[in-house]
Amino acid sequence: MRSLNLHLKVLITLLVGLGILITAYQIFILGIPLTEDETDDLWNIDARVEFQASPREPVKLQMFVPPLNQDYVSLNESFISNNYGVSINRADGNRKVTWSARRASGKQTLYYRLVLTKRYSGEQAKSEGPIFRDSIPVEGAEKIAAEALLAPIRQHSADVETFISETIKRVNNVSDDNVKLLLAGDASTPNKADAIELLLSIAHVPMERVHTIRLAAEIQQSPELWLRSFNGEKWLYFNPETGQQGLPSDRLVWWIGDDNLIKLEGGKQAQVSFTLSNSEMNAIRLAKLTDENTDADFLEYSMYGLPLSTQQTFQIMLVIPIGVLVILILRNLGGLQTLGTFTPVLIALAFRETQLGFGIILFTIITALGLSLRSYLEHLKLQMLPRLSVVLTFVVVLIAAISLFSHKLGLERGLSVALFPMVILTMTIERLSITWEERGGGHAFKVAIGTLVAATLSHLLMSVPQLTYFVFTFPAVLMILVGFMLAMGRYRGYRLTELFRFKAFLKD
Amino acid sequence: MLGLWKTWKALEAKGIMGINRRNADYVLKYNKRNLYPIVDDKIITKERAIAAGIDVPEMYGVIETEKGIDKLREIIGERPDFVVKPAQGAGGDGILVIADRFEDRYRTVSGKIISHEEIEHQISSILTGLYSLGGHRDRALIEYRVTPDPIFKSISYEGVPDIRIIVLMGYPVMAMLRLPTRQSGGKANLHQGAIGVGVDLATGVTLRGTWLNNKISKHPDTTNSVDGVQLPNWNGFMKLAAGCYELCGLGYIGVDMVLDQEKGPLILELNARPGLNIQIANDCGLTHRTHAVEARLAELAKKGITETPEERVRFAQELFGHVPKAEI
Repeated sequence: MRSLNLHLKVLITLLVGLGILITAYQIFILGIPLTEDETDDLWNIDARVEFQASPREPVKLQMFVPPLNQDYVSLNESFISNNYGVSINRADGNRKVTWSARRASGKQTLYYRLVLTKRYSGEQAKSEGPIFRDSIPVEGAEKIAAEALLAPIRQHSADVETFISETIKRVNNVSDDNVKLLLAGDASTPNKADAIELLLSIAHVPMERVHTIRLAAEIQQSPELWLRSFNGEKWLYFNPETGQQGLPSDRLVWWIGDDNLIKLEGGKQAQVSFTLSNSEMNAIRLAKLTDENTDADFLEYSMYGLPLSTQQTFQIMLVIPIGVLVILILRNLGGLQTLGTFTPVLIALAFRETQLGFGIILFTIITALGLSLRSYLEHLKLQMLPRLSVVLTFVVVLIAAISLFSHKLGLERGLSVALFPMVILTMTIERLSITWEERGGGHAFKVAIGTLVAATLSHLLMSVPQLTYFVFTFPAVLMILVGFMLAMGRYRGYRLTELFRFKAFLKD
Repeated sequence: MLGLWKTWKALEAKGIMGINRRNADYVLKYNKRNLYPIVDDKIITKERAIAAGIDVPEMYGVIETEKGIDKLREIIGERPDFVVKPAQGAGGDGILVIADRFEDRYRTVSGKIISHEEIEHQISSILTGLYSLGGHRDRALIEYRVTPDPIFKSISYEGVPDIRIIVLMGYPVMAMLRLPTRQSGGKANLHQGAIGVGVDLATGVTLRGTWLNNKISKHPDTTNSVDGVQLPNWNGFMKLAAGCYELCGLGYIGVDMVLDQEKGPLILELNARPGLNIQIANDCGLTHRTHAVEARLAELAKKGITETPEERVRFAQELFGHVPKAEI
C-alpha cells in the first residue's frame, strides 16, 4: 500500500511538473499570449519616394529598407510601383531595394510598405563588430585641433563607452574653438558625426552610423542619425547630438553605414517621406501570422496546426475534461447525487446547442413527459428493449412537436434542439424512472435536480471563452488536471453532504 | 464554514467512516474485482455457501431460460410457500414472496392474489434483466421462504427483519438489525425507510437505532422500544458472518442474515459495498474498529498465524462488545 502511495505521488508530481513546465515554456519562451483578448501593436510604415524622372534615360533607384534582423518581425512587406522592376539584395547587414525602369518621364511615385510587430522574434544572433580601425589621415590646423580635443577626452574616460560619450559631449560644445574649426561653421548632425568619427579614428575606436526611424504615429519624420560602436561584447548606441547612450525601444534601424538612403540614376529631386500608423491586433492571430511569415514554427505542433473545422471540434473536446472535473468535485467532495457518472457532462454538452435557460426548460419538460409515459408503459409489463425504443421514439416526437410549436410561436430558439441528443434524454428518463421505483419519488427528484445543477455548472465553466482558449492553446494543462484527478482518486476525507448526514452523532 | 470544519473534526475524532474512505481504504483495497460475481449473483453465493457447509435458505430451483419457465410447477411441487428472486437483483426489487396457495392461485405475503401466469410473467421479466444491475440478462431463483422468528413481532412491520454484520478480513466489526417499516413496504432496506438497530457484538442485545439518518429508540409503527432486545442464537450469527470471508474471499463485506423460526440463522446475501448508516445505528464510527482489526492482522502476519472463524469472533467480541447501555 505504501509503495502504491509513493508510486501515485511520483506519478502526480511528474504529471503536474510536466504540465507546468510545458505551459510555462509556451508562455514565457514562445511568448504565446495568455488570453485571447491580448493585443499587440502592429506598425504600418509607408515610405514614399518621389522624384522627377529624366526623359529618355533608364531609371534606377536604390533605397535601403530595414534589415529585419532585430527585435521586429515583418508580417507583410510590399513594393508598390507601376512599370518598375523590383529586386532586393542584402549587403553588409543592410537590405536594399532596387526599382528600375527602362523608360519613365515626369513625376514618379514609389511606395514601400512594411507591416511589423515587436513580439515573437527568434533569438538574437551573437553580435560581432570591429574593435580597431585605422586613423583617418588629417593635416595641419585640424590635426592640432583634434589632438587638443582628444587630450582631455582621454583624461576623462575609462573605456570605449565613456570615451565615446565624452567625445560627443566635447563636439557638441560649439563654443569651443577647436570644435568650431573642425565643424567649419556647419553644426548639422551629419557634420558633427563626421567630426566625432575623426576624433574616434585617431584613437583607433571604430564607429558606424545608424539611421533609425522612430515608431510613433502621426508625426513627420526623416531618418534619425545614431552612432554605434562595438565594445568587444555588444554594440553601444549613441545619439550624436545629446550623447545619450542606448537606442530607445521605439527606434527601428533602417540602415547602417555612411551611404544615403536613396541613390537615384536617371532622375532628380528625389524625396522620401515616411508615414507611420499603428493598429492593434489580436495577439493569437498575430502569433499565427508571425508563424506563417517566419521560420519559427512554434504553432505547427500545437492545436493550431489542425485544419480549421477540426480545430472547432477540438475546442469543444478539450474542455470536456474540465466538465468532468466539475462532476468529480461535486460528487466526491460535495457529495452531490447525480444520475449516472457522466450523464451531467453529456447534458452540459447538449446545453451548448440550446443555450442554458432554454435547455433546462426543455430538459425538464421532456423528462417529465417521458417519465409519465414510462410509468404508463410500466403497467404494460414490456421488456426492456422494446420499452426503451418506445420511450426514444416518444422523445423524438416530443422534440419535433416542441420545435414546431415554438416555431409557430415565433421562437426560433426551439429549432436549435434538433440535435439535442435524444439518446441521452431517453437514457436519462429510463434511469430516472428506475431510481423513482427503487428509491422513491423524493430521491428521484433529488437526483434529477443534482444532475441539472452539475450539468449547469459544468456547462457554465465549459463555455467560458477564456478557459476554452487556454486549454486549447496550452493542452498541457490537462496533465495538471489529471494529476488532480489522480490525487482525488485516493481522497478519503468526508463529503460535504456527509457532514450533514452524520450530524446525528453530534447531538448528544 | 467554521461550523462545518468543527463538524468535520468531531466526526473524524469519533472515527466515522465516509464514503470516500470506505471506497479507497476498504472496498478497493480488500475486495478484488474478479470476486464480485460471487456476491453479486445470489445463486453463486448460495452454491458456494452450500459447498462450505454454511446455512442458507434451501434452493428449490433455478430458471435460466424462457423455456425453463415451463418447469416452474415442477420446481414448486406441492410447497405452499416460496420466494422468487432475481439472481442479480438490487435493493430487493423483483422479489415475489408467495405465502400460501389455494385452488390454482397464489397469495403473496401482502395478501394479493395472483395467478400462475402472473408468476411466469414475473420470472420472464427477471430473465430479461428488468431488475438486474445494468439490465443484463439474469436468472431467476426459487427458494425457501423464511419465516421470521416471533421475537421480532413487536418491533417489526410486515416483511422479514434481517441482520447485517460488517466483516473485515473475517473479523466481525459491527452489527445491525434491520427492521422493515410501513414506509419501507416490508423491505429491510435502510434507503427505503427501514430502521437500523445497532447490536452489541458480544451479547447480541440490541442498542438504539437509526431511521432516515436520525437516531431513534422506538419503532415508528409499533411504538415498541427497539433497544434491549436479546437476539437469540447470537453466536451462531457471528460465526456464520465470520465464515463468509473464506466463502467469498472478499475482505470487506456486509453479510445479510435472517433468523428462521425453524432453521435458525441463515445467510441471505453478501454485499461488497455495505452502507455506512450502520454507524448511526450503533452510535459508533467504523474507522477505529477497522484500524484495530488491521493492527491485529499485521501483528498476526508477523507471527505467521491465521485465525479460525471462532478465534476471530472471540477477538471481535472482546474488543468491540459489551457496549454500555445508552441512557434514554
